[in-house]
Amino acid sequence: MAEATVPEDDSIVSRADRALYRVEQGFALIAGLTILAVMLVSVANILGRKLGEWANDAGLDGIAAWLGPVPGFVDWMEQAVPLIAFLAIAYCQRLGGHIRMDLLVGQLRGRALYVAEWLGTLFILVLVLVLIWGSWTHFGRSFDWNAPMYSRDSSIDIGLPLWPVKLLVPVMLAFMALRLGLQLWAYTAAIRDNPEHGVGVPRIESAAEQAEHEAETLHEIGAGEAR
Amino acid sequence: MTPIEVSIVLAGVLILLVMIGVRVAFATGFIGFLGLFLIFYLDRGQDAGRAFAVSLQIAGQIPHSKMSTYVLGLIPTFILIGYLAYYAGLTQALFEAAKRWIAWLPGGLGLSTVFATAGFAAVSGASVATSAVFARIAIPEMLKLNYDKRFAAGVVAAGGTLASLIPPSAILVIYAIITESSVGQLLLAGFIPGAVSALIYGALVILLARMRSDLGPPVGGFSLAERLQVLPGALPILFVVFIIIFCIYGGWGTPTEAGALGAFVVLVMALWRGMGWDNLKGALIESAKLSAMILTMIWGVLIYVRYLGFADLPGAFSDWITSLEQPPILTLLCILGAYVVLGMFMDAIGMLILTLPITFPAVIALNGGPAVSAADSALGMSGDQVAVWFGIIVVKMAELCLITPPIGLNCYVVAGVARERHGITVQDVFRGASPFFIADVVTVAVLIAFPGIVLWLPSLVIG
Repeated sequence: MAEATVPEDDSIVSRADRALYRVEQGFALIAGLTILAVMLVSVANILGRKLGEWANDAGLDGIAAWLGPVPGFVDWMEQAVPLIAFLAIAYCQRLGGHIRMDLLVGQLRGRALYVAEWLGTLFILVLVLVLIWGSWTHFGRSFDWNAPMYSRDSSIDIGLPLWPVKLLVPVMLAFMALRLGLQLWAYTAAIRDNPEHGVGVPRIESAAEQAEHEAETLHEIGAGEAR
Repeated sequence: MTPIEVSIVLAGVLILLVMIGVRVAFATGFIGFLGLFLIFYLDRGQDAGRAFAVSLQIAGQIPHSKMSTYVLGLIPTFILIGYLAYYAGLTQALFEAAKRWIAWLPGGLGLSTVFATAGFAAVSGASVATSAVFARIAIPEMLKLNYDKRFAAGVVAAGGTLASLIPPSAILVIYAIITESSVGQLLLAGFIPGAVSALIYGALVILLARMRSDLGPPVGGFSLAERLQVLPGALPILFVVFIIIFCIYGGWGTPTEAGALGAFVVLVMALWRGMGWDNLKGALIESAKLSAMILTMIWGVLIYVRYLGFADLPGAFSDWITSLEQPPILTLLCILGAYVVLGMFMDAIGMLILTLPITFPAVIALNGGPAVSAADSALGMSGDQVAVWFGIIVVKMAELCLITPPIGLNCYVVAGVARERHGITVQDVFRGASPFFIADVVTVAVLIAFPGIVLWLPSLVIG
């Protein structure tokens, strides 16, 4: 599948990049499986409800008793979306996937480029550190060692504790901070050595390069399709 | 400085950050947090430590609380449909079906391409990717029959832009969430304008073929059996589009459930076509990445929106817009004009997320406020209606910018695929796509002049 071009070599920063990337891939896969689960549970919910209604109308009470919407459906869905939003956030950053406007930065080359990228990354890191703190206190207001299920608050329908997903936010943002720290390190190395393409950070692609990249990805998919 | 002045300065800084390439999601979140701090520090007279603590608490809960929203489950589901659709073999099947059924008309293969791309773009929701896929499938077939190469490339680039209006459309869901409009109504509202756009493209192809005999020959001679044979492969596309429309229209289920049903059908189809675990895993990870990107932008901008609420910049902007001594429709056209300019340089989703928090309240105010009735309004629509209608218009505008220079990405992607094999340059594609651009401008004008085209389908549901 699509991999942004993140140049690699034997340096420590590149090895650290790849090690972290493996962890990020694992989280991204869990996020993907969550999407699959959301889809399957939603299908079960609508089919269960509709078939249950029909069975009821047809007087098939025995069958209708077995069918019905998924208990606590909306509660489960509300827990699932933050998983999808945060588990893959660092993975997306590693591949340069978060949207930006690179019309100006894309014109820069060499040190000027790396300095600009370094600054841009620093802005994100500052925000992420603030949000780790803020979302941690948000978790703290929900978690209580002495409460049932350690929880001061719970979901509306079936009373799921909210703190596990609230805790996930600062944890995944911490991985994001790790990724950003690593990118700062990589850009610092790039500023020092001034290579053509910095190691461990995504390459900026022109519209034409992006297009070719996209086309290559789809070619692989096309090969899958032909099988 | 007053809060309004501070917010104008911060809006300037935000634009600057975005211009120098800070990722949009985090640039908005950063400015939102900074603004919250400044409001409490400067305006409410708190000491710096206290102001920081308050803004930390407000900003810190947004990522979790705004993501714990049922309707957001739609976005990953719609994205998954797109990735799975490739594996389900829907592209080739659609093109083949379109070819056998309508290629006997003038400009035949071009016409088939328009409808096949429209169908696939709708389901995949990805304009650029659709153009890339069909550049591989449709351009070689057209060139084999001596179709004009600019025309062939232009049709494919333009066809991809039909992605965003026909359901399932992730970008309309994003619009609904940012503006707190009805997701169901927006998804329904997109269908007719999307279909009309496709029909106008089709009419344009026929017209071009009539005017220029060198464009390319029609392709006919398929028996009824041959035509029927290709239908089953293309049916899942229709199923996905119509299940979403009917679920919402008939009140059978929520948009999220409808999207999930669509994704399930495409998944079964893809598995039946022999998709293995590696491909499924790839599709899941790609969906997770794209979902993370979109959801991050949503919570990032919602931090900014929370700040804007405190500073009341949208209110001030709306007051200014409504005080202008000119007809409201002219002001609206100016706003849309600004979108065209912005769209030439920015990605559609990023552009909408950055601008909607300010332009949307202004448009609502321009019409007479959120609770205005159609009779009392400036644009002849109620507050809810104008919210839906404006959404369809801006999304159509954003799509249109995919085929304009300098960074019309669809054109680059088509040239990227077709340059080496067929010697088609980016300039060829832009020129080939230009008639479709003009057609789109006409479409937007029609949608502005006759809002009923947009509002009819959702109005049936409200009753």
